[in-house]
Amino acid sequence: MARNPHQAARLRRGIVLYAVVGLLLFVWAFPIFWAVVVSLKSETEVLAYPPNIIFEPTVRNYRDALVGGFSILPSFATSFIISGLTTVLTIMLAVPCAYAFARLRLRGKKALGFYTLVTQMVPPVGLVIPYFLILNRVGWLDTYQGMVVVYLTFSLPFAIWLMVSYMEDIPCEMEEAAFLDKANRFQALWHVVLPQVRGGIAVTVIFVFLNAWNEFLFAVQLGGNDVRPVTVAMYNFVSVEQTLWAKLSAAALIAMLPMIIIGFAAQRQIVKGLTVGAVKGGGRR
Amino acid sequence: MSDGKGRVTLRGIDKHFGAFHALKGIDLDIAPQEFFALLGPSGSGKSTTLRVIAGLETPDAGTMTVDGVDVTYAEPGERNVAMVFQNYALYPHMTVEQNIGFPLRMDGVPKARIPELAREAASKVKIDHLMQRRPGQLSGGQQQRCALARAIVRKPRLFLLDEPLSNLDAQLRLETRVELKRLHRSLDVTTIYVTHDQEEAMTIADRMAVFLDGDIVQVGTPDDVFNRPDNLAVAAFIGSPPMNLLPARFEDGAAIIAGERLALPPRSAPVPAEVVLGIRPSHVRIADTGIPAKVVLSENLGESMLINAEVEGVPVKVRLSEMRPIAEGATIRLAFDGGHVHLFDPQTRRRIA
Repeated sequence: MARNPHQAARLRRGIVLYAVVGLLLFVWAFPIFWAVVVSLKSETEVLAYPPNIIFEPTVRNYRDALVGGFSILPSFATSFIISGLTTVLTIMLAVPCAYAFARLRLRGKKALGFYTLVTQMVPPVGLVIPYFLILNRVGWLDTYQGMVVVYLTFSLPFAIWLMVSYMEDIPCEMEEAAFLDKANRFQALWHVVLPQVRGGIAVTVIFVFLNAWNEFLFAVQLGGNDVRPVTVAMYNFVSVEQTLWAKLSAAALIAMLPMIIIGFAAQRQIVKGLTVGAVKGGGRR
Repeated sequence: MSDGKGRVTLRGIDKHFGAFHALKGIDLDIAPQEFFALLGPSGSGKSTTLRVIAGLETPDAGTMTVDGVDVTYAEPGERNVAMVFQNYALYPHMTVEQNIGFPLRMDGVPKARIPELAREAASKVKIDHLMQRRPGQLSGGQQQRCALARAIVRKPRLFLLDEPLSNLDAQLRLETRVELKRLHRSLDVTTIYVTHDQEEAMTIADRMAVFLDGDIVQVGTPDDVFNRPDNLAVAAFIGSPPMNLLPARFEDGAAIIAGERLALPPRSAPVPAEVVLGIRPSHVRIADTGIPAKVVLSENLGESMLINAEVEGVPVKVRLSEMRPIAEGATIRLAFDGGHVHLFDPQTRRRIA
């Protein structure tokens, strides 16, 4: 062998690295793989023990989940409306808020910034009952506006916090140049700042939409028969007598689909969004 | 062309940033169409002064007028000033044409007219062939020209430049310096120019203000500032290397240093017994007789030699036009050209005329 010790060490490191990554990936991906397998089995096949490796796949579960008596399609639409409205409102409010945090010298900025972060630290389960009581009092239980307002309470601080780091990366001089060129604050934000944080807005949209779509805890408590997001609707296949595992799996995979599509499409933005601020260049004052 | 206006007056401008006293009551008069430099080391307040003039900072006290109108609290956009920032502050998502056209767009110029006007401004700085590029696709020099074009497209009343050359390499800096001067002549707009580079200020400005620690220590032409420094601060700052400053006694029209008598031309003002004598390194000669000095180091600067010596422990630099290496540790005799000697009062720190 012509290989020198240095190369051999590198090869060993490579093997170890791949083994660790492979193991982690397996642990992470196995449940999804299992859900796919289960969703293609018949309900009786699912309960076979030990599980059959070889079976005749069926798409019946998908048909039932989509167009059967317990179709999750209406809930799919509900989830879209709630997540969409939450996202739109969050962006509309978070962009000016984040700009104010990043740029304006305002009284109590530090305290407000701290409060914004603190809201992210409160365990959501502690808020379910207060929210329930409040929404019940104003008659917003099982309504779209009720769900959206509750989702805003956690998506908005998160979105502000994320957008601030993007805005701080834009040199102040750019806006100052715009002010000298007779732009007012709104025009500077619109023409100079926003086009440069498009990537950040995209990331925020994705995260807010994902969080709203995947939310279960508030949805199950504050929703109802009229407004039932898809995460809750899946439980139609779970009853006291039995759990329809195959249909539940099929429904879960369908519910996952939009997220998987978004995830793939925006992979680059998401990674960028998670690392922003790690190598911050500008943004003083 | 401007209408021949653009007189800037600052009175008692004071500015704090937290505990830092950035400007300590600045008074300044800048004449219409003047090319005026604000010169000083970093943190001396020159950039803050420019930002006050631009309206980007509001002074804590004092007033600013342009052509007699008080604009102390006017918004930047109301002042009809254009500025070139040190980092150019070009909008990276816009093309050169859109960057240059932005002030026109904000000013309500009809959309159809903008490309033509932008091109006109771009041609003045010779980048009209790059109109569809984005700033990221331009070299440093081209970016700088783009920033200049954006500033001149609107025909402002004041033209503010914040260290516009500091991000260019040495060769380009010299070229651009000449071009800025030419541009100023053709535009005829009052131009205020911030720099820490005294050579730049000397060569380019009609007049300049020297800033130190938030104060203006002298205002004058480059000739005034270089040849007639008002005070010790300016004397110690201007020149590369700056003036030698030596403590001396003054008796019967002569300065006495290290026991040597140096006859001086008469002064119009009374001279105290203790003075600080100032002389530029190029006005010191090595002679057979004169003030004894010990050589510390001789530096070869290519066109000249710079001898670092000490007179009674005080450093003295001598610039020699001929290349004559002198051994370190040797004792030499220095002769000062009496006509070029400045005297300063160590109490008031001012020059004695």
